[in-house]
Amino acid sequence: MIDLAGALIGFVIMLGLMFIGLHVGIAMLATGVLGALVYFGPPVLLSFGTNLWAVMNDFLLTTIPLFVLLGELLLRAGITRNMYESLTDWLSRLPGGLLHTNIGACAMFSAVSGSSVATAATIGTVALDEFKRRAYHEPLVLGTIAAGATLGILIPPSVNLIIYGALTNTSIGQLFAAGILPGLLLTLLFMAIIAAAVLWKPSLAEQVTEVPPRAERLRRLRYLLPPLGIFVIVMGAIYGGWATPTEAAALGVVLAFALAAANRALSFPMLHAAFIATIKTSAMLLFIITAAFFLNFIVGLLGVPQAMSRAVTELGLDATEMILILVLFYLVMGCFLETLSMMVGTIPVVMPVILHLGIDPVWFGIFLVIMMELALITPPVGMNLYVVQGVRGHGELADVYRGILPFVAAMLIMIGLIIVWPQIVMIIPEALF
Amino acid sequence: MARANQWDLIMRIIGILGGYACLGLSFLIVFEIFARKLFNHSLQGVDEIGGYVVAITGTFGMALAAVERAHTRIDVLLLRLPGRVQAALNLLSYVALGIGAAFMGYMGWRTLDDSLTFGSVSSSPLQVPLWIPQSLWVAGLVTFALSALWTALRGLLALRHGLANADRVLAPPTVAEEIEEARK
Repeated sequence: MIDLAGALIGFVIMLGLMFIGLHVGIAMLATGVLGALVYFGPPVLLSFGTNLWAVMNDFLLTTIPLFVLLGELLLRAGITRNMYESLTDWLSRLPGGLLHTNIGACAMFSAVSGSSVATAATIGTVALDEFKRRAYHEPLVLGTIAAGATLGILIPPSVNLIIYGALTNTSIGQLFAAGILPGLLLTLLFMAIIAAAVLWKPSLAEQVTEVPPRAERLRRLRYLLPPLGIFVIVMGAIYGGWATPTEAAALGVVLAFALAAANRALSFPMLHAAFIATIKTSAMLLFIITAAFFLNFIVGLLGVPQAMSRAVTELGLDATEMILILVLFYLVMGCFLETLSMMVGTIPVVMPVILHLGIDPVWFGIFLVIMMELALITPPVGMNLYVVQGVRGHGELADVYRGILPFVAAMLIMIGLIIVWPQIVMIIPEALF
Repeated sequence: MARANQWDLIMRIIGILGGYACLGLSFLIVFEIFARKLFNHSLQGVDEIGGYVVAITGTFGMALAAVERAHTRIDVLLLRLPGRVQAALNLLSYVALGIGAAFMGYMGWRTLDDSLTFGSVSSSPLQVPLWIPQSLWVAGLVTFALSALWTALRGLLALRHGLANADRVLAPPTVAEEIEEARK
């Protein structure tokens, strides 16, 4: 059995291995091996062999490549520009104009695509093109795309929630249901902040007064159908009780395939590019997940959960205090760690504490994913900031930093809201299950 | 570097085959849903096949991800180190990746060995002899290990032509490369 100091040293070693640039999965594997060797000796390692097969051929994990494939197909289905135009029809008269389109398009696209980098790159390309001809405060434009693209990991279907569910044995269906309301609220919060900023300082955005005639707008509404339709059918299949998350993902893939065919975007080069990207991304995820399962297995044998729970009891922390500490902890970690690595690397030590304090694992999953969204847009390593700057291709990164600030604030407000009113997260899963 | 390209090409073909497997699996699952709903007839074992597809495409995919530098690394500190140190750490990381993959391959082989010894079959209506999917799975893990070590070796050889050349093989992808990737 390990004591708290031993567990923390192990955690620091793992972070150290990550920071010298070892692959994240290797850093976790190596830490697990080290712990097993120091405390038990080699035979313990071999007992993981059978688990290794069980982990990798789990039907639950089938969900991951299927959702990734769904996103990759959708990315290439030729729907982005039309979707952006149609959203502009309806959102551009709000104070802040096209800034709302950015948020809406990012939310919609990233929800189904699941990748924030792909969303920031795709919507960024379409949007920045559009903004070239208009007078907007540039940092704010960049901020809306970087922030909007994070929404997809919260709004279901979310691969990050699947990974969290797999590692902590939490129901994927409940996690997906729990992500809906906070995802929508955060989207609205972003839009509210834009509107407030523009009302306070009208020079930030161009006032759009003219929109196409209503008939035209209604006609173009059909461009919103594909992403919305896929979302509704996939989620409906899960909550209608006639499909598991994996089956729903398969349904989504078939729909996205049909959509690409209907848009004449289907070709062998397109399919093959989508396939290679899918297999690469899923394998990358599967490797990290496998390593995390291995580390979790060793951490459990070592008695880290008990050591962590004892420490929390001795400190006399209650659930709220612990969560506030974790907000700070993840804010700091998120400034330096890639988001998925941050989640899977901390689950082995943090989860025992959460369960010990009686915090609902579904609620905590949503909390964790919002903290991951924050990590995507906090300097110095917020991936989305760099992607947006990369798509922009000129000017200073500092512009993106300035533009993102209101949205960082919005996310912190969101975290505060779910701490004060956990029902925001729990109301839908509790109603459905 | 003709051989390097050949290995990369094989990996990409593997990726494409894996993609077809996932697409095929999706159609199979959807067919199963409709068969179940409409005709009350369930194809047995689609979920089991799904598990095998992921285990096998996943491990071979890890090999593809290794040559294409898609496995996640944290580069916030790395990028602030001197070029030579970066090159050394890049090399170290791929050697470690190879060793880690070989370790997983060894554990996988032991599992396969047990399945062969005991003639294990899956506990499902399909009754698949486990050595069939497991041997492909272990082959994937071995390919992963070879792929990582091969990448390390290529990086080492590229070092002769300067740090920049080695970085193209071993350094974490830059943001520009990631955007390029997303737009493909």
